[in-house]
Amino acid sequence: MATRRPLEDVKILDFMWVMAGPASTRILADYGAQIVRIESPTRVDTARTLQPYKDGTLGPDSSGLFNNCNAGKLGIAMDLKNPRAKEVVFDLLRWADVVTESFSPRGMKGFGFDYAALSAVKPDIVMLSSCLMGQSGPLSTIAGFGNMAAAISGFHNITGWADRQPAGPFGAYTDYVSPRYAAAAILAALDHRRRTGHGQYIDLSQAEASLHFLGPALLDYTVNGRCQGRHGNDDDRFAPHGVYPAAGDDTWVAIVCRDDRDFGNLCDCIGQPQLKSDSRYATAAARLERRRELDAIVSEWSRALAGERIEATLQERGVPAHRVFNSADIFTDAHMKHRQHFVELPHSTLGTFTVEGPRAKLSRTPADVRRSAPSLGQDNSLVLEEILGYDEDRITSLAVDGLFG
Amino acid sequence: MLRIATAIIMSMLSPYRVLDLTTDRGLLCAEILGDMGADVIKIEPPGGSPARLIPPFVDDQPHPDRSLYWWSYNRNKRSITLDIASAQGRELLNRLVKSADFLIESFDPGYLANVGLGYDALNAINPAMIVVSITPFGQDGPKAHYADADLIMMAAGGPLILAGDDDRPPVRLSVPQAYLHASADAAVAALAAHHERVDSALGQHIDVAAIQSIPIATQSYVLAAPLGSAEARRMSGGVKFGPMNIPLVWPAKDGFIALTYLFGSALGVFTRKLMEYLCEQGYCDEATRDKDWIGLGELLASGKEPLSEFERLKQIVIKFTSSHTKAELLQFAVDRGFLMTPVSTIEEVVKSPQLASRNYWQTVEHPELGRSFSYPGPFAKFSATPIEYRRRPPTVGEHNREIYAGELGLSTERIAKLEREGVI
Repeated sequence: MATRRPLEDVKILDFMWVMAGPASTRILADYGAQIVRIESPTRVDTARTLQPYKDGTLGPDSSGLFNNCNAGKLGIAMDLKNPRAKEVVFDLLRWADVVTESFSPRGMKGFGFDYAALSAVKPDIVMLSSCLMGQSGPLSTIAGFGNMAAAISGFHNITGWADRQPAGPFGAYTDYVSPRYAAAAILAALDHRRRTGHGQYIDLSQAEASLHFLGPALLDYTVNGRCQGRHGNDDDRFAPHGVYPAAGDDTWVAIVCRDDRDFGNLCDCIGQPQLKSDSRYATAAARLERRRELDAIVSEWSRALAGERIEATLQERGVPAHRVFNSADIFTDAHMKHRQHFVELPHSTLGTFTVEGPRAKLSRTPADVRRSAPSLGQDNSLVLEEILGYDEDRITSLAVDGLFG
Repeated sequence: MLRIATAIIMSMLSPYRVLDLTTDRGLLCAEILGDMGADVIKIEPPGGSPARLIPPFVDDQPHPDRSLYWWSYNRNKRSITLDIASAQGRELLNRLVKSADFLIESFDPGYLANVGLGYDALNAINPAMIVVSITPFGQDGPKAHYADADLIMMAAGGPLILAGDDDRPPVRLSVPQAYLHASADAAVAALAAHHERVDSALGQHIDVAAIQSIPIATQSYVLAAPLGSAEARRMSGGVKFGPMNIPLVWPAKDGFIALTYLFGSALGVFTRKLMEYLCEQGYCDEATRDKDWIGLGELLASGKEPLSEFERLKQIVIKFTSSHTKAELLQFAVDRGFLMTPVSTIEEVVKSPQLASRNYWQTVEHPELGRSFSYPGPFAKFSATPIEYRRRPPTVGEHNREIYAGELGLSTERIAKLEREGVI
């Protein structure tokens, strides 16, 4: 029997879409929060159109990204611009502890569901808005995705090779960072509400939250006036520190020497123990100075060997090393299997769907993902009948008025 | 009335105490809790945490109280030094455990148990305390004792293979990220467990593995294999998927911009809007403007449109972007809803008018240096309980006296003795 999860009494009315928003509430869903997510019957959630697709085939429910961000939630499709949306939204609001949304700042006001309107109905509601740049300021209304927030926040310019154009981190980086801050903010605000009876409004700029992941570089500028750029895989402290070729197509191993001991062990592993006592590489400072030489020496050794063997040889001696994994490598990795990282769930239209499991293991009240992301409008009846207690006549009347598209 | 007023201004987590035993793997977790008001005590080994030796440093002078890495992730904490591996140290820690609500640690799995501070021992002293462990690979599993580093975790967790130039090795972000992902997940998990504790009055042990926090940074491409989809491959400033090279970074007159130029029912709408403008400005003809921007992705994937057509379209866009400055292109985005932003340098981020208009940067005084510095501001704006930077990052053991004498009631002599013996 499934155990009780920590947030099972938390109810969230979720207007979020695309990635940064839904990824926030997905975390809370894993901890048991009841989430009713509203989707437009006509304006498709961008996440539904993004790769990777199940069996490589685009379909309304086949996006891995959409499923990964929305598993564990109930889904209701309704047109927020319809005049009758208000009665349903307000009933859901009365049910909810938290409202979340990730439209551009004018969105909720346009629908008549901004914090002023919602808190007038339910004064102690906790509402969180997450958008690219925040609810105010000259760029507040900019449309876009996390790759754009990441670029304007400095993540792209520090990723890549100094002699090349910025490579950027992969994809919508602030959409990976900001959801944690959003989820933590909601839980802390709920605790405050429990103790004081007061709700509040939280304006989360995905850019501003994510900038904390660049803290040292930002302070290096504000304190020292130094503008850090990109420098491949070089590190400020460690050398060798890089990604080295292994045998095979696009096959790589990351290797890091944190100190003299790691370096000594590496020298043994690559069959060049004499380098340990070579004055050219004797200290961390010397190794940083001659890092290109060391990269060449390590590459010379690594390129003929299988990645698995390089990793095993070095790890056996305590030297940080790991193959550079792609999805197939991670999916078949014994460690990730042990950690039950991937979870296969029944799916309403596609048979089954695999998503990532919860990201923390709680000993007494474990997190758990129990249902696939909803197909469009999958839970309309459940939400309207069971959560809101609407009778058939009322639901028919809403449908006749076009609320469900 | 006074009580109510106090309750209203009380910050979100001010009733709770956090003991932060983390190394550089976990510092951000307690900072997030501290930002939201928790009373965080950073417990460092005598002499200070090794994380204080991580560069950069103020004026490039290495010193435990000048590390900007340390400053980034230790605001709103107090610092005490304590050798938790010694018998006296353990006893003092156990006294602190009695009044703590959370203990966050990031030692290698098994270390705390070896020094008599495993979860069972801590739970026996304070059954309501939530213990959060942040490690590279988790508390168990075949790789639980692997040697680690930021680059190693980014390699093992999936984002690395997807980033970089296709003719060179994959690259990481040059500011370490791996443990920040884990630490932020840990903060959420701690608060979820806390929510449950309100009813049960029981703590629990939370096992956070960086290796499971990082794959989200693949934009769910980590699911490609289990879903039976093709793997994406890296390409500088973009991604290769199947036969298509999809750029996300484009040239501007004075640098680069991020521009989402994609198709499909959601994104095609934006692309159409951009192409209508480009046509109006003479960058392309009307036939190009009137292409099926919704269906083009599928047409290219199936070969019904040749890939050379996508290359032609990209050249049209490059002609446009490279003839404008980053600032001009950003203004287009604001005015016309195009999906583009500048690739900003760190300097441009710090000087951003958007951030200035939201009073993002916080001035934090460092009296020990006689200077004040500008810090990245609150991660969100809370209407009732705004985040405050109550404390600058502490110097080594700055609060030893305050906590050992003031809270635990140790005499001056006892504290001096503990110092002599290297316990604090």
